Amino acid sequence: MNPDPKTMPDPSAMISVRNLSKLYKDFIALDRISFDVQRGEKIVVLGPSGSGKSTLIRCFNRIEPHDSGILSIDGQIINAQTDLTQLRATVGLVFQNYNLFPHLSVLDNCTLAPRLVKKTPRASAEEMAMRFLKQVNIAEQANKYPIQLSGGQQQRVAIARALCMQPEVMLFDEPTAALDPEAISGVVAIMNDLAQQGITTLCVTHEMGFARHIADRIIFMDKGRILEITPPAEFFTNPKTQRARDFLDQMISY
Amino acid sequence: MTHSMAQFMRRCSFRFRPRALAAALAGVLAIAGSAQAADPDLPGFIHDGTLTVCTNPTLPPMTFVNGTDVNAVDGIDMDIAHRLAEYWHVPMVVTTMDFTGLFPSLAAQRCSMVASGIIKLPDREKNFDAVSYQDTALVVVARAGTPPLSSMADLSGKTVAVQSGTSYSARLAKENEALVQAGRAPIIIQQYPTEDQVVQQVLIGRVFAFASQDVELYYRQEQLHGKVNVILVPPYPEYRHFALYIRKNAHDRELLEQAIATMGQNGQMAAIQKKWAISPDAAKALTRTPPAPMFRWDTFFSALTSTAFMRGAFITLAVAVLSHFTAIMISIPMALALNGRDSLLKMVLKGYVSVFRGAPTLLQLLFIWNALPQFLPIFREAWFTPFLATWLSLSINESAYQVEINRAALGAVDKGQELAGDALAMSRRQVYRHVIFPQALRIALPPTINEFISLLKTTSLASVISLQELLAVTQIQVARTFEFTEYYAAALVYYLGMVFFFLFLQKRVERRFAWADRHKATANES
Repeated sequence: MNPDPKTMPDPSAMISVRNLSKLYKDFIALDRISFDVQRGEKIVVLGPSGSGKSTLIRCFNRIEPHDSGILSIDGQIINAQTDLTQLRATVGLVFQNYNLFPHLSVLDNCTLAPRLVKKTPRASAEEMAMRFLKQVNIAEQANKYPIQLSGGQQQRVAIARALCMQPEVMLFDEPTAALDPEAISGVVAIMNDLAQQGITTLCVTHEMGFARHIADRIIFMDKGRILEITPPAEFFTNPKTQRARDFLDQMISY
Repeated sequence: MTHSMAQFMRRCSFRFRPRALAAALAGVLAIAGSAQAADPDLPGFIHDGTLTVCTNPTLPPMTFVNGTDVNAVDGIDMDIAHRLAEYWHVPMVVTTMDFTGLFPSLAAQRCSMVASGIIKLPDREKNFDAVSYQDTALVVVARAGTPPLSSMADLSGKTVAVQSGTSYSARLAKENEALVQAGRAPIIIQQYPTEDQVVQQVLIGRVFAFASQDVELYYRQEQLHGKVNVILVPPYPEYRHFALYIRKNAHDRELLEQAIATMGQNGQMAAIQKKWAISPDAAKALTRTPPAPMFRWDTFFSALTSTAFMRGAFITLAVAVLSHFTAIMISIPMALALNGRDSLLKMVLKGYVSVFRGAPTLLQLLFIWNALPQFLPIFREAWFTPFLATWLSLSINESAYQVEINRAALGAVDKGQELAGDALAMSRRQVYRHVIFPQALRIALPPTINEFISLLKTTSLASVISLQELLAVTQIQVARTFEFTEYYAAALVYYLGMVFFFLFLQKRVERRFAWADRHKATANES
């Protein structure tokens, strides 16, 4: 299942990484990571905090540039010369704390980037935004400001905002970590919905329900390394490493 | 002037070689290419065919504003300057400024001559040539009813007000040395920037006496309604003549002496003296006037509605708005650079901020107006007006304060905002323009308006470099009439009106940032 790190990245894969490493001064955040994500695959990245999960997915839109190794997105090698606009239009990212633009209405939050980056006319940008806002069940709040919404509502707006760029890959960086249980179910429902539509998804989360039922594969990380890449049925019933077993025990007791 | 004195002067000019050299160099730079030598009878100080006279119009009857038009300077000195211009067949231009700026401006070649009721003193003649035109005497003046003194020593322990920049304080200091040696208390000297303030100190009873010239007092008798009288005429030989000052040049001085002598012979001088009634007999007739009321409402209202005040307020507002706008434009890229990585540029900018926040604004104004032309002759040309100088110096000064506001505001915008913009494929420019700046603006706006209000009032400092802003207009009116309470009150109304307008504007603008406040945002919705 794990690709040989010595091979070249798979050009047909949506995401393909070989020996990807990232350092913060002398702290190794990512340590020689190699794996492929096929089109339409849904991957959940699990692991204790500080294991490098967020850093990993943030490498994919180069918000965190990697230091060594090869990263290929949609067959294109990503490095310092890459056109970031094109990359980031392809790879959407949803943050833990939403990072909505507080000075813009919900609708304007969704239309700003398409209008600026893709030069989409306002009318069609708004039409598309309303479609995605409907999809995340928040269309009726389109003219409100973010501060007037609850956390769950804000996260759904953030998802709609990312979708408005019509990305091929969606990265979720602990999207439910800041939410209360009621809000979590709403956001997870939308992520399920997106997964059904076949968009390639990588999600860093502690939301075990999503991991168990929706993910095609689980990536388990610790200390900047991938310890396991397995389908969820196998991961949850029969983890291969002691570290993963300890992690699961803690999750259950918690 | 005696022959030996003239020789002494000439020797002096050689002894001060560096200054002579600098003056020569400055002269070459200023008049290079002009047809200055075309008319041999024309003094060298007449640049470009114009007699430019620098004056501080606060010393009636020598030089003052004799009406509501602040640009119409009147008085003996101005009449003489007009006759001189006629004598040489050239047009005359009057430049008004603070007293302390007169000699620096003369040195900076901003004027042909200084005609401002200045006494001929050997100390001043070390650096400039002086030609006397009017006899006078130093007088010590106190409130009416004060018994006369027999000598300067009688002022021991008493407070005396003098105009700063005049030679009176140095003369009184000399007097103090003698007093201290004799074991007596010195005279307490208070200095004020304008002559009218000096007189006011005596009128309100804060100081015992003021030092002035008799000529001024004769003229003031009418305004003062007999509230003051001369208590002593000290036997100082050096305070006997008013003089016109020019840059050192023996030939120019002879030409000016000839011109003044001609005016004495053809009766023009006598006519001017008669016009301004500067003889003791004329003054005595003017002492009988009724006491003035506490507050003249008609003066106050006519000041409020005068074009002079409106123009002054407009200049104040214009220079403040332009300076702050420029400061903001300069300070935004500065703030971005200062928030960025360490570099040489960042170190230079830190130095810039320290210097311009550290140095007093008044010093910066004086530096730009008086010192800059010494290094860069282009700044002594006519295009560099007091308005431009104020604009320049307040822009630089204000940018050093504004940059700190901008820095704090940019730093206060959540880092996640930039990340979100990046993740949405927006360019650096777009992230700043559409995400960071609008949010930083809300944070920066209240302190920025505070800064602006402060700057609006700081513009009053520009009166020292002769900008005719609101306070300068007020002071000129006070110097003319002595109705200081009324004119100060009118200026206060203007300043408060402007400040309240901007505070109102601040409230209105803040209401537009409803997105920052859940309740307001909801209220806006409904």
